[in-house]
Order: sequence, then structure tokens, then C-alpha cells
Amino acid sequence: MQIGFYFDQTRCTGCSACRVACKDWNDTPAGPENWMRILYTEEGKFPKPFVSYMIAPCWHCAEPLCAAACPVDSITKRAEDGIVLVDSEACLGNAECDVKCLKACPYDAPQFGPQNGAKMHKCNFCLDRHLEGKLPGCIEACPVRALDAGPLAELEKIYGSGKEAVDFKYSKQSKPAVVIKAKISPLNTT
Amino acid sequence: MSNDSISHTESGVTIIRTTSTFDCGGRCPIRLHVKDNRIIRIEGDDVGEPEQLRTCLRCRAFRQYVHHPQRLMFPQKRVGSRGRGKFERISWDEALDTLANELNRVKETYGNEGIFLATGGGYLAALHNGGFAAQRLLNQFGGCVTHYGNISSEGAVWASLTQYGSVMVGHSRDDMLNSKLILLWGWDPARMISGTNTMYHVIKARENGAKVIAVDPRYHDTAATVADEWIPIYPGTDTAVFVAMAYVIIKEELHDQAFLDKYTIGFEKFRDYVLGKEDGVHKTPAWASEISGVPAETIERLAREYAGTKPAALMDCQGPARSAMGEQYNRCAATLSAMTGNVGRPGGSACGGLMGIPVGHMFRMSAIPPGKNPFEMDGPRVKGTLDIRLRVIKRVHINKIFDAILKGKKGGYPSDIKMMWSMCNNYLNQTGNSNKAARALQKLEFLCVNELFMTPQARYADLLLPVTSSAERSDLTRPWPSGPYFTFMNRALEPLGECKSDFDIANELAERLGIKNFNPYTEEEYLKMFAELNPEYQKHIKDYDKFREDGIHRVKLPEPIVAFKEQIDDPDHNPFPTPSGKIEIFSQRVADLKKADTPPIPKYMPTPEDRNDPLFEQYPLQLLTPHPKNRVHSELYLVPWLREVEAHRAWINPLDAEPRGIKNGDEILVFNDRGKVAIKAWITERIIPGVVSIFEGAWYNPDKDGVDRGACANTLTKDAYSGGGAAVMNTSLVEIEKI
Repeated sequence: MQIGFYFDQTRCTGCSACRVACKDWNDTPAGPENWMRILYTEEGKFPKPFVSYMIAPCWHCAEPLCAAACPVDSITKRAEDGIVLVDSEACLGNAECDVKCLKACPYDAPQFGPQNGAKMHKCNFCLDRHLEGKLPGCIEACPVRALDAGPLAELEKIYGSGKEAVDFKYSKQSKPAVVIKAKISPLNTT
Repeated sequence: MSNDSISHTESGVTIIRTTSTFDCGGRCPIRLHVKDNRIIRIEGDDVGEPEQLRTCLRCRAFRQYVHHPQRLMFPQKRVGSRGRGKFERISWDEALDTLANELNRVKETYGNEGIFLATGGGYLAALHNGGFAAQRLLNQFGGCVTHYGNISSEGAVWASLTQYGSVMVGHSRDDMLNSKLILLWGWDPARMISGTNTMYHVIKARENGAKVIAVDPRYHDTAATVADEWIPIYPGTDTAVFVAMAYVIIKEELHDQAFLDKYTIGFEKFRDYVLGKEDGVHKTPAWASEISGVPAETIERLAREYAGTKPAALMDCQGPARSAMGEQYNRCAATLSAMTGNVGRPGGSACGGLMGIPVGHMFRMSAIPPGKNPFEMDGPRVKGTLDIRLRVIKRVHINKIFDAILKGKKGGYPSDIKMMWSMCNNYLNQTGNSNKAARALQKLEFLCVNELFMTPQARYADLLLPVTSSAERSDLTRPWPSGPYFTFMNRALEPLGECKSDFDIANELAERLGIKNFNPYTEEEYLKMFAELNPEYQKHIKDYDKFREDGIHRVKLPEPIVAFKEQIDDPDHNPFPTPSGKIEIFSQRVADLKKADTPPIPKYMPTPEDRNDPLFEQYPLQLLTPHPKNRVHSELYLVPWLREVEAHRAWINPLDAEPRGIKNGDEILVFNDRGKVAIKAWITERIIPGVVSIFEGAWYNPDKDGVDRGACANTLTKDAYSGGGAAVMNTSLVEIEKI
């Protein structure tokens, strides 16, 4: 089984409740380490601008390129649910290995704190919640219900098979576990 | 603490059901995970959909607010000159003795009128609202001077009372699903919340097929998410566009004459004004286009679409009404709503800007009875009056507090203020003209501030009293402005440090001031009494203990609440609560005021610091000061998880930035005669050229040259109010330059 995320880009207001809920649940300090990031795009000209937001957690890829890149095999993919985990204790830290996982990831999911030698951390699908049968914190935090999570096959059944969106390109190599309802930029449809 | 409200988990963590008390526009159930008197995590509402009430990012960061390392933890007194922010720890005994002595000294030297009580919206709940306890105390002490009105909504309040005789002008949010057309007119619920789950309902309405048009100086996040079209407009000119829409609707006979005949009075007078019979000016789309920047053909199209789509919800709010003739915006919106028969209709909107419904509304909450203020006993009766002049005979308008301190009776204010006791507010930061406010605070003989943080206002205190956060209190809370539900705040933590509640501070002061029997009840007794004696709780809540345990009582509505539905369905038995019993497009009460700034029919009027003011040559940009998303006004400002969500930046259109050599991210000065702020520029196509936007609530922080490095929006705004009492926070002219 592979878990995954659903994101409805047409609903997202960019409020960042998911990002703050993630920091609260996982006790991540303010700063550059953001397990859930929000990407912003503004296109077009006044008075017809186009604006979109895209969430950026770890997509728990079927073929995690980060794991392959890690020199000490600190990144593993759980067989039972496909959650990609990092053993931060085993991680060499940002200085020693020069963030090979981050460079390999098409989505910049691996995160490092500001200090030299910071170990990698990232979205773990709120594993503790998952094991208790709960959804990740970000999902329940979304005020406009733009997020869902669960077995990827079920998400695809409910929400279809959208895999592209503004600020997101599906990597055929890593196969991120996501279904997206994309916001259509009028500038890109012609 | 009710033991039933706690569920123990194996890890020694208790989960407490509570809410915040911020003046945020929502009221959300939250579950605090508490261990060793610390909140370690937060979860939201756990009821199933569709009733689930989802909190926003602000309360997701609640624990960084409660446990912030800069929380004030013990009483302090000023050392060194006032405003420098140097303080020294003292005991509570010394602190309370000092405040009691100052109250006695000022009373004996100048009379009670020398004492000013500044309360506010910083803590919105029934019992521990510091203002109520302090007002009761000072009333029993012989009285004090206080303020009238609130910064947020006086324009909308005045308009709703004038037009409808009621402030309950909203629909429950689910009713938007009945709308075919929604006009977001100066309304951005994605940021300012407007009731928990409101943005979700706007999205659902859009997905349900409603067309959404946003009319706003900014392409805000709500518009960016749901709007089919954005119509950019200059601030303060909404009413001109409304009037021109009325012109089109009347000329093309698209109005609902039967509705107007049956439910309203005074439409003919408004029509005469619109058609130019009153003043010779035809309020055509071309006329409004000149004023507003909205093309005439867009106004025509909008008028036809609004009049031709039934039902249509014109969602006006309060931001555009925080302007120099702000109440005209809400009145004119309500008049358009009547002209199109959208009042009292499911899927429509009565307008009026307040959006409240009469189930669980904060205005109907019980509180500590303050009693009568002896200082106001010989004043005029002001209940329900539309004459703002009467309201400022014995009180000070909220946007004039600091002018009153500076000028006193000679300036036409009720008294000469010598000392101020302040709680639940940061008015230096949150009312107009912060530099003037800072000067005024220097003039006081004594300033005591009850606070959680060293706010810009607290820096000027002589005495700082540290107060508990909502996590350290039990209380009754209510959604603002819209239920339908009631919430209970269970205490999660014992008071941190030496913090006390405002209520306890008032109690201890009462003993020192020799006021007997000031407070006959305990916290528990008060809460139970408030719940048992309040008519709304009586109606809906049968089991107080269960309410407390659940932290919430949800009211199931058989159908969405629609404002004034009874008046529309059965007008003979349900007159509008106005003198005429009808919707008053013409108000005789207002006519009788004989004030040029409040005409009896809604009108567009030129004002100081509009685009035609001669000052425009010197300051050719209008300033907009909308709600921030990552704090509540100036509350939560120091919370790191919120600060990093959005940098404090000025929105500037490239057409304004380029000629001034300003690039994205540049440090710029925004300035006028009132002040200068230093802020980063954000160059964006999301704002109409000619307008600069700075989110309100960032903390005032002047450097030695007087430049506000915190970029508080109110360093640039004016401490004035409109004819209806609206604070003019969105009527300011500025210029910008690269540093």
C-alpha cells in the first residue's frame, strides 16, 4: 500500500494553517526548516493577475531519489504504507555530505535547520498520528478542506488522477504520491 | 477546572477543550495538549463534518503565544524616562498599592474625571474581559472618563441602525449556497475570517455555481481563490459606484418597485439624488468612473448583472466603511439590496456590513454588570442615538483618545485627563496617528497598563501589570459575529509566572480602595450564573456541565438564518425596528440631525484626503490598511511561527514603483505629514495603481529620527471619525520613496 496526499489547488487561499499546524505538531522551530512549504505564483498583468498556491510537503515517492542519494542509507521507505522516513541520527548533516538528498529530490522536501551540521528532517506523514489511525496534522488543519490524505489508490478513485499543477511537475522518475486538482492559469491555456 | 473536560492519555498529557479570545472574527474549538503546565500541542475541533469548525493559522500557533519568552511574568515599574522601555521588577503589593495610590491621588487632586479607562477588544469573553471589571470598580470609585465606539465597525453599525434599526443584518454562512451571484465588495474572509468556516462556505457557494465578483483595491486571497472577475477600485469611492449602479438600475427600470413600495420609505428622494434632480449632478457611470477608477461600462454591466440575477448577495463589510464617510458605503449597499429585492431573501443579503446573526452573537453575551458611571449621570441619553455629537459629550471617540489627552476640555473633550488605566488594547498602535499617541502618553501624569507583552503602548507605562492569557482562565466565549454555537473556555494552565487575571486585579484593588462587596462571587459562580441567567443560553443549553465538558454547544438550524425574513414574509405583524417600521432609505431621524456629513439618504461626498484633495499633489497615493493574516490586529505580533508566514511589506503596483526607482524587496519610506514608516516594498499586480497597502497591526517602533521601523500602518493614518462615527483608517494620502 502507498499512502498519498490530495491537494485541491482551486480551494487553497495560501493561508498557511497547514504549515503552522505542521510546525506545532512536529515541534519544528521557526526558521528555514519547513516540512510543509507553500509555493506562490503570480502571473499576468493588472487588472487580470493570476495567483496560485501549491503545498510542498514530502510526497513520499514510490521511488524516493533522496534515499538513493543518501551516502549512509539514512532514508528508508516503509514497506507497509510507503511513508519515506529519515533517521536523523544517522544523517551525516548538511555540511559533511553537502545535502545530497535535497539535491536529488525534485521537490526540495528534505529540510535542514540553520546551523552548520544540521541533520535532515522532513515530513513523515505525521507517522505518530498515522499509527493511531489519524490523518496528518496539516490535513485536519485546512480551513477550506483543500487537503486530504489516505491510500493513494483510494484518493485516485475519489479525486481522479490529476498529477500536474502550477508549481508542480510530476516526476516520472520518483513517482510522488499525490493527486492534485489544479488551478488553471488563463495565461497557460492558449 | 471541571474534571470531566479532561481526558487523560497514557503519556501524562491532558487534553483541554477551549477557545481563544482574540478579536479575530472567528471563535474556534481547540484542544490543548497540556503536560507539566505547558501546552505541548494543539488540535482542532473533533466533531465530524459538516459541522466541524476549523481554526486558522493564528490559533495553530497559540502555544507560541502563551509560552512566548517575552510574556510579561511579574509586575514592573518604569525606571528612566517614559517610553524608553526600561523597567524594574516589583512585588504585586507594591504594584497594587501604587495603582491604588495614583487613583486616590488623581481623584483627590482633579476629581474622578481625571481618570481615563481604556478598555478594548483584546480579550473577548464574558467574565475576564478586563474592561468590565475595571469599569465596575471605577464606577464604584466615583466614576471615570472612558471611550465610545470601536475602531472596526462604527460606520457599519451606524448604517445598519439607520437603515434597519438593527445590527443583526447577517445570514448564516450556509445561506451563501443559495446565492447565484456573490459580490465581494471590500470583503476578504480568507484573511479576516468573518466567522469560523466562512471562507469555506464562500468556496462551496462558488462550487455550487454562484458567480463571484470581487470589487476591491486589492486582488486579495479571497478574490484570487474564488472570483470570476476582479474589479479594482480606489479606496473610499465604493459609494460612488453604488450610486451609479443605482442610476443604471433606475434608468433601465430594473429595480423591484413592488418591493420598494411595500418595505421601504424614501426611495423617491434617493432616486431624485441619483438622477440629479437634487443637485444637478447626474450620477452616471461616467461620473462614478472619474471618481473610482472603475470603467463606466464595467459599472453598467455590474448594475445589470446585480439587478438581473436573483438571488444575489452583495457582501459589503467594514473595511471600506473605515473611511471618511464610511457609513454611506454600507447604507448605499443596503439601498441597492432593497432596490433589487434581496433583503430578507435566501441567497440575498441585507448588507449593512456587520454580518451577524442573532444566535450566539457576541453582542448578546452576559458580563460583569458595570453599573452606572457617576461621571456620565448628567450626560445625554445616548442609547440608540444616531447623533454622534451626543456620544462624545461624556465620552471620547475611540479614534480621538490621544487628542483628548493632549487637548482636554479646551479642545472640546469631556475632561482633562491626568491618568490612564489601560487593558485589552494597544491603542497607540491601533488608532489613528501613532506619533501623536506617543506624544500624548508623555503628557499623562500616570499610565498603568495590564498586558501580556511589552507592546508599543506598554512601553510608555509607569506601571505594568502582567495578566494571564486565555489558556490560564475559564470563561464563556462566543463567535464574532456569527454562530450558531456557544463555546466554553476551560482553564488549561495554572497562571504562568506571577500573572493575574484582570478580574483578580480589580478585586484586589477594590480592597485597597475601600470598596466593600465589590465582587460577591467566585469565578465558578459567575460563569454558572452567566450561563443560567442569559436568555440565549437558557433557550439552547439545557445541561451546563455537558456544555462545559464539550467546550461547545452547537445549535442546529432547521434552515439558514436570513436577516429580516420575518419582516419580509409578514410585514404587517413584523415591522422593521425603525421609526417608520420600514427600511429607511430616507431617515427622518438623520434629517433631524441637520448635519452635512450625515445626509438622510445615502450619498457619495468628497472628503479630506480623497483624490481631489489639494494634498493629493504632495501625497499622490492612497493608503489602505487591511487586516493581516498572521496576527489579530496587533495581537500575536511576536509569535515566530506566524511572523515567518508573511513578511511585513507594502503592496505597490509596478506603475507606482518604477517611476520612483523602487524594486521588489527594496527598503522604502512611506510617509505623510503625520509620520514616516520604513518597510520593504512588494511589487505586485494585485493592487490598483495609485494605492499602497500596509497590513495593520505591526508594532510601532520609532528610531531616533522618528522613522517608524516597525511600519505600523497607523503611523500614517489620521485620528478622525466620520459623521457616523467610523474611524477613518482607510482615508490617508501618502508618498513613497526608496531609502
